[in-house]
Amino acid sequence: MKRGRALWVIARSVMLEAIRRKEIYLLVAACLLLIGLATSVDFFGLGGLVKFYRETALRLMGTFTALAVVLLAVRQLPREFEQRTIYPLLARPLPRGLFVLGKGLGVLGAALFCYALFMLIYVPGMWYLEGDLAWRLLGQHIYLQVLQMGLLTSGAFLLSLLFSPDAALTLGLLLYFASGLIGQVALTLYELTNAAGRLLLYTATYALPQFVLFDLSGKVLHSEIWSPLSWPVMAALTGYAMVYSGLYGWGAYALFRRRPL
Amino acid sequence: MSIPIQVEGLTVSYGRGAKRVRAVQEVSFTVAEGECVGFIGANGAGKSTTIKALMGFIFPEQGETRLYGAPSGDPEGRRHVGYLPEVALYYPFMRAGELLTLYGSLSGLTRADLRRRIPIVLEQVGLGGRERELLRTFSKGMQQRLGIAQALIAEPKLLILDEVSAGLDPLGRHDLRALLQELRKAGRTIFFSSHELSEVESLCNRVIMIDQGRLCHEVTQAELQAVGRKQSLESFFISTVRGGAAT
Repeated sequence: MKRGRALWVIARSVMLEAIRRKEIYLLVAACLLLIGLATSVDFFGLGGLVKFYRETALRLMGTFTALAVVLLAVRQLPREFEQRTIYPLLARPLPRGLFVLGKGLGVLGAALFCYALFMLIYVPGMWYLEGDLAWRLLGQHIYLQVLQMGLLTSGAFLLSLLFSPDAALTLGLLLYFASGLIGQVALTLYELTNAAGRLLLYTATYALPQFVLFDLSGKVLHSEIWSPLSWPVMAALTGYAMVYSGLYGWGAYALFRRRPL
Repeated sequence: MSIPIQVEGLTVSYGRGAKRVRAVQEVSFTVAEGECVGFIGANGAGKSTTIKALMGFIFPEQGETRLYGAPSGDPEGRRHVGYLPEVALYYPFMRAGELLTLYGSLSGLTRADLRRRIPIVLEQVGLGGRERELLRTFSKGMQQRLGIAQALIAEPKLLILDEVSAGLDPLGRHDLRALLQELRKAGRTIFFSSHELSEVESLCNRVIMIDQGRLCHEVTQAELQAVGRKQSLESFFISTVRGGAAT
């Protein structure tokens, strides 16, 4: 069996599930409704609110995609165990590592599909409002969002193997939404705490990825004053995402490899 | 060619500390090429645990299990195996054809192989023409038939079937028996557990009995025939288990 084909068929089954179930459409519909409401502001005669639309749309797209990733990723492995669908799969000449990787790629594919649907609305919306798309910055923002999806997927897989699906979902969302806040609190507390406290803050800062690094929506919003990021910065961010995704992914594999089914 | 199934001193426990339970203790047996072996025992006797260890789903505390010479955890050993789990649901959002494409692809079948094999196996299990139907509409018996189809999709040399007739109606059991006979005649190695002892009796050339995690008896084809003349396999099994006979 070719590894690439095995990865593709597992990923395809995850994407098929995401597309045929209702949750992903609900997320897209809810997000599009909110973006639509933001767009409708212009119909009320409040011109010049391109920035408002851009900010609302980009933030909502990022948030809803992250939500879709965590929702999809945390249930992948637990559902396989619970419904015992994993047995016929792993009865094939399929290494467990390849199975986890295929599942992860499937979640990433479904998240990209979700993000592409958002973009199909965002871009025409910007043209309609005659706003500047800021292509280069937007492209970098999309690329970093994809890296973030990969990181979230591997983190959610790890959580789903450590905790119950509900606890993994709560923790995954909490870590995503609170990561910025945790970073800010760490900065504030750093000067006030002792050596042990600082060590703890360092540990927390480096153990948890800083999702805020992957969000360029603020720069896209103010594209008239922000230039696209330089290639070394983009490479550093790519490396940062790869290291964390790799660590979390390896952790998930290490737990799954010896897990009795 | 290596021996299809080798189980040597297999011991498997569940739980930790005071709650630790030995599900299987020092079980050893082999299944040779072309044999059809029935694996019988009461509920909780250790049949499914042994099969799961054989498939590499759980890890032995002691002993080892091999499929075609490869340790059970090694994917290579599963290359020639078709497996039916005791209980499994199949993805309800998929169509029957899509499910078989997934499993067949993972077994290494090409697209051309899949186009050829899918209608054949669906026909074999009595689901011909249902390739496009969503699995959420399938009854329990149809799911079990589909389970048998997925085990057969890659034309495996060895079939490991756990509770093969569970959920099948009398007609389904009859068809299954005919299918297994056909596969046996075609030279496939079959190892299966079942509570349907008449089925085991009619199909197998050897029967392995397990009770409370230990092998308690192994009945060869000659013994089976002798048993058949005097009493049914069911009454032989009951008297063996209740009588506490051991190998």
